[in-house]
Amino acid sequence: MSTSAIKPRASWRVVDIVIASAIAVASGVVFWAWNASYGFVSLGFVAFPPAAAFVSGMWLFPAALGALIIRKPGAALYCELLAAIISALLGSQWGLTVLLSGLVQGLGAEVVFAAVRYRKFTLPVALLAGLMSGFFGGFTEAYVLAYYEAYTPFMKFFHVLAMSISGMIIAGLLPWLATRGLARTGALGALASRRAHLEGAWRGQSR
Amino acid sequence: MSAGLGEQRPATVHTQAVAVSAEDFGWRHAERERPALQGLNLSIPAGQKVLLLGPSGAGKSTLLYALAGILEVDELSEASGALRVGGQDVFTAKQPVGLMQQDPETQIVQSRVVDDVAFGAENLGVDPELIRERITPALQAVGLGALDGEHRTAHLSGGQKQRLALAGILAMEPGLMLLDEPTANIDPEGVPALRDAVLSAAESTGATLIVVEHRLEAWADAVDRVVVLAPGGGVAHDVDPQALFTDRQLRAELSAAGLWVPGIVPETTVFAGTPGAELLHAQDLVAARSARAPKTAAVDLKIRAGAAYCIRGANGAGKSTLALTLGGLLEPSSGTLRASEDFAGELSEQPFSWKAGKLIARIGTVFQEPEHQFVTQSVREELEFAPRRAHAADPAAPAFDEERIAARVDQLLRRLRLEDLAEANPFTLSGGEKRRLSVATVLAADPQVLILDEPTFGQDANTWRELVQLLIEALEAGTAVIAVTHDEQFSAALAAQELQLPAPRETSEATRRPGPMLDAPLGESWLAGINPLAKLAAVAAATLPLVSTMDWVSASVIIVATLVALPLAGLRLLSFLRRAWPLLAAGAVAGWGVALVGEDAGRILLHLGVFTVTEGSVAAGAATGLRAIGLAIPMVLLVASTNPSDLGGALSQQLRVPHRFVLGALAGMRLLGLLTEEFTTLALARRARGVGNFGSPLQRLRAQLGQCLALLVQAVRRASRLAVTMEAKGFGTGERTWIRSVHFGLRDLLVIVAGVVLGAGAIAAALGAGTFHLVWS
Repeated sequence: MSTSAIKPRASWRVVDIVIASAIAVASGVVFWAWNASYGFVSLGFVAFPPAAAFVSGMWLFPAALGALIIRKPGAALYCELLAAIISALLGSQWGLTVLLSGLVQGLGAEVVFAAVRYRKFTLPVALLAGLMSGFFGGFTEAYVLAYYEAYTPFMKFFHVLAMSISGMIIAGLLPWLATRGLARTGALGALASRRAHLEGAWRGQSR
Repeated sequence: MSAGLGEQRPATVHTQAVAVSAEDFGWRHAERERPALQGLNLSIPAGQKVLLLGPSGAGKSTLLYALAGILEVDELSEASGALRVGGQDVFTAKQPVGLMQQDPETQIVQSRVVDDVAFGAENLGVDPELIRERITPALQAVGLGALDGEHRTAHLSGGQKQRLALAGILAMEPGLMLLDEPTANIDPEGVPALRDAVLSAAESTGATLIVVEHRLEAWADAVDRVVVLAPGGGVAHDVDPQALFTDRQLRAELSAAGLWVPGIVPETTVFAGTPGAELLHAQDLVAARSARAPKTAAVDLKIRAGAAYCIRGANGAGKSTLALTLGGLLEPSSGTLRASEDFAGELSEQPFSWKAGKLIARIGTVFQEPEHQFVTQSVREELEFAPRRAHAADPAAPAFDEERIAARVDQLLRRLRLEDLAEANPFTLSGGEKRRLSVATVLAADPQVLILDEPTFGQDANTWRELVQLLIEALEAGTAVIAVTHDEQFSAALAAQELQLPAPRETSEATRRPGPMLDAPLGESWLAGINPLAKLAAVAAATLPLVSTMDWVSASVIIVATLVALPLAGLRLLSFLRRAWPLLAAGAVAGWGVALVGEDAGRILLHLGVFTVTEGSVAAGAATGLRAIGLAIPMVLLVASTNPSDLGGALSQQLRVPHRFVLGALAGMRLLGLLTEEFTTLALARRARGVGNFGSPLQRLRAQLGQCLALLVQAVRRASRLAVTMEAKGFGTGERTWIRSVHFGLRDLLVIVAGVVLGAGAIAAALGAGTFHLVWS
């Protein structure tokens, strides 16, 4: 296998923008389907509501997914923000503050990819991105937007922790697996991630 | 904001036709070993109409992409020779070239008809006044003159979408129009109208026209010249169109390459069996996608072993819905569908009640899009999947022991000539291979009834022949075959009994699409006329101050103000509740959470295990819930009165958000309805493969995730094609113009002021009532 592979270009092409948008839109569809069954899921948390944060990673997966597929600066932020806008337009979320949440959650993943200078898209990077996305999101909800102001300090801490763990799995591991699955189908042919399925989990592509 | 289409003008769209010339032109895509095109020499004078043919892989699409100027040049791709349009090199040329591809869904970029026609011309920076003058003649030239400019593009049929895309191309006034299999993905009844639209457009503008098609009949009489590309590179034939009717050798050669040559039907054996025992009996059967969806007419039908049936009928008659119902995938809306005793075996007589694993061993359904039904990573696993599922559901059935499965899979691989591709990922196969595989995967479970939705749609002559042969073999083995199809040659070859499904009793546009819709037409409300950014600013000013405090007074002020403002957005209380109920529910859940685990104070109201609900925690819960609702519901006013496209236009024109991202996002958002529909179809298509509601929670979760991944594949595929369309329409290259200009006036300012006053008033009320409680303290 050639090692030259794909040279990263920082600028976004039209195809990058449109596919990133479609990823956010598909996420919106999944949110929509998820909303229909969310009622049942959340019933399970009536006994201990802060545990609902364990499934909050669900709202975060567009961030890492976008970054892993598009591999351009800003992809995590763009996909998460657009997915948030779509769920705001569908009226299924928390109004305007959902944009703020989307921005912050996307930023959490974005800083991780920026820290590796958009060159590594390995499993550890994806897990960390999901974790940070959950941490940023949970922290904002607990302490900045203060949705749960009346929670005890332990409950607030628990919320942040649960959301980080949830983010790592649902918004880190799953997007990484999804990217490999997508690359295997050949659907990513026009993108920098087209060979994602051939990369190692830990070392990624050699360059 | 309206586009102001202006008065009816005489149909005039001017262009300057351009010539095309290739000198030893070649192109190799990045990361491919072989060039897609090589040593091509061709000269097309300005204004000529050319039908471009060739076997698959001869580089027809690559040539069109090159002419459209959208081949991606980077350090890994390689061009040789020269290719010129109007004397300019294609890689540097700046003149407009129109390109239309086969998937109607991705030829449309915008959600409203006028916007879509204008899109390309806007990208080219044409003066908006001039674009508005071009819109009506362009729509008239393609036979869509009767459409309202505000009509939603999502509601057009496939053929209409293609014609709309053509109108958008005309509005760019291109000197060259390129059509890549424009009729391959639309219903046969839409083909003549589209073909005539193309020809009249070419006629009236005089533009040079190059059409790639694999069904030659519609075009053979209409073009000036036929060029056949050779597989290795270069031109194999360059002839007069009459040769398609008279040159026997050429006809034979093209037919062998899989093209549909006028008057040649691919040869298959002739099926002449006699029907066997009755398997299914439909009585007064009415099918519908859901309780609220349109219903089909009532059908009486007996399905017998070893017999073929074709379901025909106009668009919207519900042919596919009926097929899904016959396939046991949808519950009959009314009437009955009964399986005979022998056929049902130990199961009940209603196929819909059968578990997926049992269903697939009896009734197999092949969906129109093969990719919807692929569930594994390789061709071999794909073939093994259904018999394994059938075995798991019925371990006693001898037909599905490991040895027989292996033998059957090997036999199918040989039969389909897919042995070399046994380990390939199904998604990477060619279109024809995918179609054959999708039929074989269902046949692998040896069902006695096989149902196919438009199996020959868009297929080349070779795939058609192999498919028909495969189905004839199934018929001879005693399988009943039911197909939804327009294809008369197909039903003749299978000696099929035809069922004409009459038009449905009722259709309404509102019930056509399930799920969410982002750009439903807005009423004539007062707020609908307000600048979208002003509304956004007002919502922000009114709600964001609420973030600072946790109290019920400030939240209540905003909630009451929102309810009072409902008429301004044209909302009644009931339609508001329909939009807002998830927000209200979420607020209630948040409130309950706090009441339960919030810090306790005051009298104890309830003991629940380790938690106690107290007066203090209930008050905190109420404040939390009301605040969540107050933060959320003003957004409903904005959403109900704002078209996302207008919001995007305002963001880009007034806030200078880069238009590439704004319009890219809007184009992606147009896919929402489509992807939602696809998600629903995927659930059925995968159930038809035996994936579905069974097994442990872990297996169900895996099935759910698999469905999400399958949706992503389709999303990325559609987006890739959409991106090509947008690039071909000059998107993202330079400064663009907008036919919808955005205004900011006194009323808009008033709305912002109202938002600010509300936000400040809410906080002041809380301070006055003494309930203000800073959340960061």
